[in-house]
Amino acid sequence: MIELGQVQQARARFVERRYLKVLKSPLELSGTLAYEAPDRLIKRTLEPRPETLTVDGERLVIEAQGRVRTLRLQDYPVAWAFVESFRATLKGDRAALERFYRLALEGGPQRWQLSLTPRDPKMSALIESILIDGRKGRIGKIEIREAKGDRSVITVFEDTQ
Amino acid sequence: MRRVGLIAVGAWAALMAGCAWIAWHASYTTDLSAFLPRSPSASQELLVEQLRQGVVSRLILVGIEGAPIPALAALSQELAMRLAREPEFAYAANGSEEQLAADGAFLMRHRYLLSPGVIPERFSVAGLREALDSDLADLGSALGALTSRLLPADPTGEFMRVVELLGADTGPQRRNGVWFNSTGTRALLLLQTRAAGFDIDAQERALARIRSVFDAIAAQQNASQARVRISGPGVFAVAARAQIKQDVSRISLLAVALVSVMLLAVYRSPSALLMTLLPAASGAVAGVAAVALAFGSVHGVTLGFGATLLGEGVDYAIYLFTNSAPGSGLRRSLARIWPTLLLGVLTSVVGFSVLLFSQFAGLAQLGLFSMVGLIVAYIVTRFVLPELIPDHFGVRPPAALGAAFASLAVRARWLRIPLLLAVVSSVVWLASRGHALWDDRLESLSPVAESEKRLDETLRRDLGAPDVNYLAVAVARTLQGALEAAERVGAALERARRAESIDGFESPARILPSDATQRARQAAIPEPDTLRDNLEEAAQGLPFQPRLFEPFLKDAEAARQQPIVTARDMAGTALALRLESLLSQHDGGWMAVLPLRAVREPAVAARELSGLNGVHLLDLKAEANTLYRGYRDQALHLALIGAAVIAVLLLAALRSARRAAEVLLPLAAAVVVTCALLSLGARQLTVFNLVGLLLVVGVGSNYTLFFEREIFPRSDPQRTLISLVCCNASTVIGFGLLSFAHANVLHAVGGTVALGAFLSLVFGAILAAGRPVRG
Repeated sequence: MIELGQVQQARARFVERRYLKVLKSPLELSGTLAYEAPDRLIKRTLEPRPETLTVDGERLVIEAQGRVRTLRLQDYPVAWAFVESFRATLKGDRAALERFYRLALEGGPQRWQLSLTPRDPKMSALIESILIDGRKGRIGKIEIREAKGDRSVITVFEDTQ
Repeated sequence: MRRVGLIAVGAWAALMAGCAWIAWHASYTTDLSAFLPRSPSASQELLVEQLRQGVVSRLILVGIEGAPIPALAALSQELAMRLAREPEFAYAANGSEEQLAADGAFLMRHRYLLSPGVIPERFSVAGLREALDSDLADLGSALGALTSRLLPADPTGEFMRVVELLGADTGPQRRNGVWFNSTGTRALLLLQTRAAGFDIDAQERALARIRSVFDAIAAQQNASQARVRISGPGVFAVAARAQIKQDVSRISLLAVALVSVMLLAVYRSPSALLMTLLPAASGAVAGVAAVALAFGSVHGVTLGFGATLLGEGVDYAIYLFTNSAPGSGLRRSLARIWPTLLLGVLTSVVGFSVLLFSQFAGLAQLGLFSMVGLIVAYIVTRFVLPELIPDHFGVRPPAALGAAFASLAVRARWLRIPLLLAVVSSVVWLASRGHALWDDRLESLSPVAESEKRLDETLRRDLGAPDVNYLAVAVARTLQGALEAAERVGAALERARRAESIDGFESPARILPSDATQRARQAAIPEPDTLRDNLEEAAQGLPFQPRLFEPFLKDAEAARQQPIVTARDMAGTALALRLESLLSQHDGGWMAVLPLRAVREPAVAARELSGLNGVHLLDLKAEANTLYRGYRDQALHLALIGAAVIAVLLLAALRSARRAAEVLLPLAAAVVVTCALLSLGARQLTVFNLVGLLLVVGVGSNYTLFFEREIFPRSDPQRTLISLVCCNASTVIGFGLLSFAHANVLHAVGGTVALGAFLSLVFGAILAAGRPVRG
């Protein structure tokens, strides 16, 4: 986590697969991720429909189909779970993570897996757990398991630039 | 005591007892609507109704501060729960989930009858395919969780459409489950009283309830450091009334004390002092009783004059006593001066009587109060005082005082040229100000203090509470008629919104569509088999699970069969309250109110609405200001008519144009110079200043009459001079103290009359000095 905390800026591409109970086959989305210390995270989906999600502090801004919506992050638990786990992990902010989740870290610095389980009953009614795989100072994969059986797997690739 | 005297005193005592009883039991108001017209135009009537009892008048905004967020949230929860059970409140909202859940359940259950998206095309193969494609895209979005939860029952997204349309998802941000301001320092609640805003007693009870319940909760939760702050129209009305009451009682006491000290110094007789106060007090009590009987309630502004009627009411007795040396015979003095006093009373009463014809209840009250007060004060002086005091009674004012006044009066003629210059420059100044002389805003009458206004603005901004300027109003005979009219108005406003001349609007027909619209929506849903076939065809090639949409098919069929939604179905939701605030029974008919948001081009909105029957577009601010201008113009006309009637009366009584002019000229000069002095430094005059000027004419005419008839015609005018100065001083004290009142009404009238009365006396002396003595 100490190593992660030194990340000032990170850019990456991602591919997300959403396994939803309402669908027979998973949805596939792709785009870019950008992190700026300490609190800013931008998830830009390019395919299949462009959408930009910017999180700055507690504010969530969604831009899609020419519409901009500003929301409070805490009102959208699933987005919050993703953002907080990603952001706090990169920030190395173990205290922030501990506040919302019970943590379990496996593996060594070369290859690690962090699993998060929500503490708040309201949150755990929606999110079962979050698994984050990484190597050294980079996150490789995030899997969000929702309580009702839906799950998302986000694979993060080294930025090609 | 003579028999006649006994009757006079007995009648007076009985009358006073009766009047005091009436005054004691009268209700007192301070709301602005007493200063609104009694027989207004249709749109003004709507405005007045909104101001008096519309939803805006019944809102109370509450902020809880001074504790950490969890403590504030707990206080808010408990306060909302307890207040919702109290009889004073129609509702208490704090944004808690329980409240939102009730609204959400209602909207979900009736989404097919409430959503404007329910049209036949929606359920065709093409319409459904479009909806499913959009659902699929939404599932991939950041907010996909909500879509996937609603999808099986609502693939066409009617629930979200209704939620967005009604703006049910907006509002202040929530912390710990309740509304907070953006910095988390203040928990917010929105209350609505059952009683109308103009019912100040009920508003006061509601405020007391909030405070007592809050104190109890704060004590229970050990949060004594937390404070509750309350604002809203009802709060203003209650505060204004308390302020006026406090001002009036404090100033009355102080005025009585100061006038008493002055009179004691002049009379050197306590019993003369008591006898002087008697007619004024009788007049004030009778005036209040007369207003209470004629109008049903007494306005605080009228009451404010109770303090100052003292200023003029004592005059008659002062004239009587200062003109009677001990042993000279009180009745003889009375017989000598009473014709002049009568003429003085008549000019004042005639001046005020024109106010009775005012459309505005507030002004009419002032007129009635002053007339009755002066007449009673005069009658008591004329018929009751002589019966209570021995005939040989008299006072000896300090001789030096009379001599000093006399020498001043003689020298006053040297000031004629400066007076002329003052009048000319005042006229030029007033003419140059033109329309800028008057403050045309209705708010200029509002008794609300600056600090209270700021708190209100802050809470309103935090809560996003309605602060509307434009209202479209539709009137119809039946509830359904009003809802259908609201739907037509909504369609017209929707065109204005697309033209970007307005940002949006609210409508009762969005919360409760008319029966006809609901039936049309039911008819738009196909038979179950058709809907199923259409859906299956639309879903071909899409990755949705088979049989996923069974809940949708079931709900759509239920909606097709269900009874029409009525206002009763939304009982217990915040929507019911919003509906009630936008839809009201009105003179045997129904009225729908559609508040407009952010109006950029009122003309466009007005054009869109112009073809509709029974629909008005109200610009509340402009309407209020027009109303106020009308009010002021009317007051101005009445003041001029009053002045003219006074002139005619004097002409008839004095039987000489020159003598009438000698009485009137100083008054005119005093009014002009007072006006100019008040408007110095870009200050604008309000209708209260105007009323003050009318009082100046009514009061000042007495001084100039005395100059004309009693002082200079006599060889020894010293006693009359002393009486004039005393009368004037008592008026200046009474009204001058009023100018220190917090309520702008009292403040404006007080300052105007104090200044004008003083100038009338000085100008009267200047113009009267040096005239030949008439015998």
